[in-house]
Order: sequence, then structure tokens, then C-alpha cells
Amino acid sequence: MNDSPESSLVAPALLLELPAADRLAPAPPEFRQSRFHRLADRWSHLVFLACSLLVVALIGGILFFLAARGLAAFLPLTGNTGRTLSFAEVFLSTDWAPSSDHFGILPFLGGSLAVTGLALLLAAPTGILTGVFIAKLAPSWMRSLMRQVMDLLVGIPSVVYGIFGLTIILPLVSHSFLKDAPASGFAISAMILSVMIVPTIVSLATDAFEGLPLSLDEGSQALGSSRWQAIWHVLIPAARPRLLTACVLGLGRAIGEAMAVQMVIGNNPQWIALMREFTDRAPFLRALFTPAATLTTELVQELPNTPTGSPWNNVLFAMGLLLYLLTMVLILATRRFGRNEVA
Amino acid sequence: MLSPKTPETKPVKLSVKDVAFSYGEKKILDALTLDIHAERVTAIIGPSGCGKSTFLKCFNRIHEVTTAVKVSGDMLIDGVDIYKGGIDEIDLRRRVGMVFQKPNPFPKSIYENVAFGPRLFGVNDKVTLDVLVEDALRKAALWDEVKDRLKESASGMSGGQQQRLCIARALAVGPEVLLMDEPCSALDPIATSKIEELIMELKESLTIVIVTHNMQQAARVSDYTAFFWLGRLVEMDLTERIFTTPRERMTEDYITGRFG
Repeated sequence: MNDSPESSLVAPALLLELPAADRLAPAPPEFRQSRFHRLADRWSHLVFLACSLLVVALIGGILFFLAARGLAAFLPLTGNTGRTLSFAEVFLSTDWAPSSDHFGILPFLGGSLAVTGLALLLAAPTGILTGVFIAKLAPSWMRSLMRQVMDLLVGIPSVVYGIFGLTIILPLVSHSFLKDAPASGFAISAMILSVMIVPTIVSLATDAFEGLPLSLDEGSQALGSSRWQAIWHVLIPAARPRLLTACVLGLGRAIGEAMAVQMVIGNNPQWIALMREFTDRAPFLRALFTPAATLTTELVQELPNTPTGSPWNNVLFAMGLLLYLLTMVLILATRRFGRNEVA
Repeated sequence: MLSPKTPETKPVKLSVKDVAFSYGEKKILDALTLDIHAERVTAIIGPSGCGKSTFLKCFNRIHEVTTAVKVSGDMLIDGVDIYKGGIDEIDLRRRVGMVFQKPNPFPKSIYENVAFGPRLFGVNDKVTLDVLVEDALRKAALWDEVKDRLKESASGMSGGQQQRLCIARALAVGPEVLLMDEPCSALDPIATSKIEELIMELKESLTIVIVTHNMQQAARVSDYTAFFWLGRLVEMDLTERIFTTPRERMTEDYITGRFG
């Protein structure tokens, strides 16, 4: 504690003893840098710069390509070999029938939002509470085990989750809820997606809770709160910005996922009509199992089969552009939440 | 301040008999026996790592939040053992409040920080809460500074204000004992003197146990001083006696700065 006044006294004395020379004497030969190292030091930053520029160029290039092809659907650009469409007939229409010249993409946008929303509804509470458990309640051996398991789960290829859904979950749901009618649709896609994004949310939520000062926990319990009250009333609110970030990153992963969803969702662009039918005839829950489609699944499904430059093909690129923008908005949103964290 | 000439009139509030405290195989505290009187300030001094903070945390069992430790011996509050099922830890912590080394306000408004304790115990009525919050803030000498910004976040306050907020927060549940773990170590001299004044006022109605690194602080605010060394109690007596005529050579060496 009393270091600081002492050191401030010592420092000027040291300064006075420095030799008053114009130049420093050259370092002894054994400490001199080789010519190669000096040159490398001077030029190496260019290599780093080139690599970063390459990455930026790639990302910018993808955006440019998507934008050029996607906007060709609406503008008479060179990539457009058919008629130009209006924004309204693409973005505000639910009528998707490319063979009879109808290109409404609302079913896919709606499908994407519904599936990811449902997935987040399942994954966020599970993930956050698991994060609390790992960070605050689990014994230490279990904590490190769980963290490793979560890191592994993040890395599993999505097609594996898809296979799991296709071969295990679909038959199971079909047998137990739908009287053996074939199952697919939102609910199952959301289940698979939530299993996929839970590890991401758990990892980030665990970090969020471990990052909180222990003094908050102690402070709360010293006032007579139970452990649960401390978690609920102090720790979760304190971690809220980082928990939101965790959810948004999970959401970003979910909205961009194609493979796993495509395997279980049923790929039915006309799902809105079918769902209406279900809600009229069957219990409401049946609607959750309507075979449907999302932006990503439709891209995977149809892009290879459409002639380049046709309105159909261009609209698919426009859907890709929309996905790109949605993801970008989510990433910007995490930045915002991240900034609030300081307060 | 209590002097050797006037006899002690206050009853014993906290009583410690042959307490040992171990973490795994390691003994952190051993063979501690001492009494703490009601409405007095008892200071605990000693070099870093002597177990004084650990000892303080035994009184409200807050160490159980972080570590699995074993406490043996008797620790009594008003004659009731706090470890042997006489009282559960939630009730204990309402009666024995604590202020920590670094101010630890919750990331909530000033009002909600103080209302936190009463809310835990089921007080949700707005009028009652308003009264409790104002009362606690007044006792912590903070009311005048914050009465116009009760809804603002506590993180915008200065360190000294935050620490007084933490004191108010502890007072809001009506504790009988206040444990203070180096409450001024993160504060500047002006904020420190405010806290010290506050301690003098609060001891009119509270039993205060304060751990401090600062010998002058112990001399200024406390009636009794206990000197700890390596997990043992070397000496405990009236503060005036400890600082003028200590019985142990080691105590004298420590308070005169010959080691520590």
C-alpha cells in the first residue's frame, strides 16, 4: 500500500544518474539482430495486411455477387434473361408457383422465422439454465466435463443432427403423436435446431455467469437470499446483456442452417394452405407438424434445378441475399448488446 | 470509546469457544476463543493471510457459498449455536449483515438495491418499502445525496457512495450484527472518514465487527481489538490497552510496524 509514495520518490533520483550521452553505444555483437530479421520485421506486416485484405475481399465479393444476382430479379441487369419482377410480388406475396410465374417468398421467410423462433424458445431457457448449473452449481469435475462436451457438440456437422432427426425423432413423433401419419414440419425442425444451438448458448451463458464477480453472489446471499434467489434476482439480471448475445448468436446459427432442417421439415412451399386445412380439421397442435419450407431449405432444394438468369433462379439469389442481411442484422444486434454490458 | 476505567455494561452478543476452521487438510483457524459485546465495535487486525477475513465470514456462514469447509467448536449468537442446527443460515444472515471489501452493489437502481433484502423476506407493499428504503439510506448517511435519483443505476455512484449503499442495503433487513470486511480498503481518505463516522453512529444500535488492515482505523473506531497471527488469536483487549500497553510482545511489534 505504501509502495506508491516511495517509488515516486525513487524515480527522479534514478533519472539523475542516467549518463548524458548523445547516442547509445552499439549493442555488443552477440546481441545484434541479423540483417534477415531486420528486413523481415520491416516487410512482414505487409504479409499480414495482404491476408486480411484477402478475407475482406472474399466477404465483400460474396455480398457483391449475391446482391448482383439477387437484384437482377428486380432490375434489368445483365444477369436477367427473363422478365423483371416487382418487389411487392416477391416480398409481399405468399404465392410460390415458379412454373406459373408466381414468386412470392413469404412462405419461406415465415417458415425460417417460425422454425428459428420455436427453436430459440426451446433452446434459450434450457441453455441458460444449463449455463447457470455449470458455472454456479456443478462440482468442479463435472464442470470441466460439461464444458468439454459442449465444445464438442458445437463442432458436430449439422447433417449428423439431420440424420438423427430423420431416423429417430420423425418415426418416434409419427408413432406417438400422429397415429403413424408421416411426421415432419416446424416442430421437429425446431427440436433438431434447438439441439444444435443449445451447446452454443450453453457455452456463452457459462462464460457469462463465470464472468460475474463472486461478490454479487456473496452480496446477495449475505442478505439472506437462498442460492436460487441469488441466481434468479441478481445473477441472471446481471448477466442479461451477455445472455442476449448468446441467444442472438444461437439464433444466427439456427437461421442459416440448411442441411438438418431440410432433412426433417418436409419441403412444402405451399405450407400455409396446408396448415389452414390442419387447423380447420385437426387439433391445433397438428399444425405444428405441417410439412413446410424455409429460405435455406428452398435454396438447397431448388437452386441446382433452375436455369441461370431466369426469374426463378434470380429470386433464389434474392432469398440468399435476404438471409445474408438477416444474419448481418443479428450480428450487429450482438454488438449492441455487447456494448450495453459495460453499464 | 470504552476505556479501561469504565466497566463493560453491554452483554456478550457473539461468543466463540475453541473454534477451528479447516479447508481440506489445511487448518486456517485454530483454537479461537473470544467474546464480542453488543453495541461495541470490535476490530480484528493482523497481517495478510492470518485468517481474519475467514473468521469474520464464519459469523454469517457466507464462506459456505464458495468453499467446502469444516468448522468445529462453538460459535454462539445470543447463546444459540449457529452451526449446530440452532438457526438456519437464511435467518442467521438476516440477523448478521455483511459489508464486503469491494463495494458490490447489484446492477439495479439505488432504490432496488436497498429494497432487495426486504423483498426477499416478502415485503412487497410500496409504502412499507419506501419507508424502509428511506430509513436505511438515512442510517447510512446517504439519503441526502441520492434522494433525487433513487431510480438511477447504482453503478453510476462513486466508490464511497457505493460502499454506503451496501451498508444501507445490509441495514434494510434490520440486522443485529454488522460484519465489515476491510470496508474502506478500496476507498479514498475522505470516503473512508465518512464510513468511520458512520460506524460510530451505527454502534449505538448494532454490534459491529470490523476487519481492517489499517491500524489507525482500528484505533479510531473500535472499542475492542483482536490481534490475529497465523490463524490464532494472539491477544484481544480494549483497543486503548492494545495500542498503549499490549501484553504480548508480538502485538506490540505488529502495531508499531516492526512486521506485518
